[in-house]
Amino acid sequence: MSSFNLFDAEEKSLEQAEDLRRRLEQAPGPVRDGIASLIEAYSRSVREQRRLVRVSDRLQAQLASVNQELGKRKAEAEDALESLKAAQESLVQAEKLASLGALVGGVAHEINTPVGIALSCASHLADSTAAIAKLFEADDISVDDFERFMATVKDTTGLILSNVERAAELIRSFKQVAVDRTSSERRRFDLAAYIRETLASLGPHLRQAGHAVRLACPDGIVMDSYPGALSQVLGNFIMNSLVHGFDPGQLGTLSITVEQEEAGSVRLVYADDGKGVPEDHLGRIFDPFFTTRRGSGGSGLGLHIVYNLVTGPLGGSVAAESPEGGGTVFTLSMPLSP
Amino acid sequence: MDNLKIAATERSPAVDFDFAAGRLSLKGESYPEDASAVFGPIFAALEAFLGAARGREVTFDFDLTYFNSSSAKALMNMFQMLDQSADAGCRLTVNWFYAADDDTMKEFGEDFCEDLSHVTFNLVSVE
Ligand SMILES: Nc1ncnc2c1ncn2[C@@H]1O[C@H](COP(=O)(O)OP(=O)(O)O)[C@@H](O)[C@H]1O
Ligand SMILES: [Mg+2]
Repeated sequence: MSSFNLFDAEEKSLEQAEDLRRRLEQAPGPVRDGIASLIEAYSRSVREQRRLVRVSDRLQAQLASVNQELGKRKAEAEDALESLKAAQESLVQAEKLASLGALVGGVAHEINTPVGIALSCASHLADSTAAIAKLFEADDISVDDFERFMATVKDTTGLILSNVERAAELIRSFKQVAVDRTSSERRRFDLAAYIRETLASLGPHLRQAGHAVRLACPDGIVMDSYPGALSQVLGNFIMNSLVHGFDPGQLGTLSITVEQEEAGSVRLVYADDGKGVPEDHLGRIFDPFFTTRRGSGGSGLGLHIVYNLVTGPLGGSVAAESPEGGGTVFTLSMPLSP
Repeated sequence: MDNLKIAATERSPAVDFDFAAGRLSLKGESYPEDASAVFGPIFAALEAFLGAARGREVTFDFDLTYFNSSSAKALMNMFQMLDQSADAGCRLTVNWFYAADDDTMKEFGEDFCEDLSHVTFNLVSVE
């Protein structure tokens, strides 16, 4: 197999030049010297060319391996980013489930009261019925006894009815909130009524803290949006006020004010008059994992979820401020139908 | 003659020509967009210096970590120039520094000294 030579043509030219030099032996001195130095210069140039080719081959090889390394590193960094995102996503899910857990806990607590009243009324009614039945069987029943029994029946059945109705209504609204939370379904709902339902579902937490809650929302604003997202947003605002806004025992006011400035969208302002957020934290509270309560229950995901829900499904925007006089204000703008 | 001192840039080496002491050095990386802008002043100063360096002792340190192809060609031209003035009576030593783990720079040094017959050429590995 003939070996390939990059500089074949150059070598041939050099041989021919040497040939020419030998044939010019009889030529005058200056001509011979001139030819000799041309040949010298040309052969140097060929050597340099060989060297340069080696140099640039080596440089390109170096570059290629650097590029390869770079590509590998980039892939590694992308993988790491990917798994970080996945981890963050699962933490967000965990936080959502935790708040759903709190909701369910609240439901159980809230329903306890009417069911408890209905239960004791029913057992009181059963006792009275048994007593009157005994009197009746013994044929020892007086008009007075019967009238007292009838009064008891009227009172207890009234109480049973109203409390069972109350429980049924609570279950209905909790069910709606819980379903909305988990399903992220879009539907039409009355904004004021839905905020009231959400507040009811947070009732136990709110009552325990003892803060005043004010809702100012015009009736008849109908949204076609994601009620679950909205309820989660309000829930996170309220839980944050309870956890971060006030010292234990300190009483304050939480308020939700809805205004419809232009057709097609609403502005919801959530405010508490608690401690407020320091200036240098304001820009970071929506960041994932930013919390001032690390180690004591804070995940730093609550407001991140708020931000994602408002800018995502609800199609709006949210901003936080902490006015001079204290307190924290979240302003939420969203379209009625994103 | 005046010494030549040019600070390194991201793409060109530091130049330190101390003509009085006979110590010249190029240090750094060399991949300029315009090789003649970088090497023009270097060659001009070198030519003037070497023209009157007969009988002198001169050391030239090359401590380069990376260069591109046109810089390589400029270096070859420089080495030819050095070899010619060594032939003309300048006692010239070239030190070619390379990092101990940088085989490429070492091979460049070996390549460059192939054509030198009058210069003392030292390959110096640096830990
Ligand atoms: N109503 C509020 N009053 C004072 N600080 C608040 C309030 N809401 C949020 N913050 C601050 O914002 C931070 C982030 O809130 P969040 O994302 O819900 O995380 P977490 O509640 O787990 O700390 C809190 O740690 C707290 O410092
Ligand atoms: Mg929180």
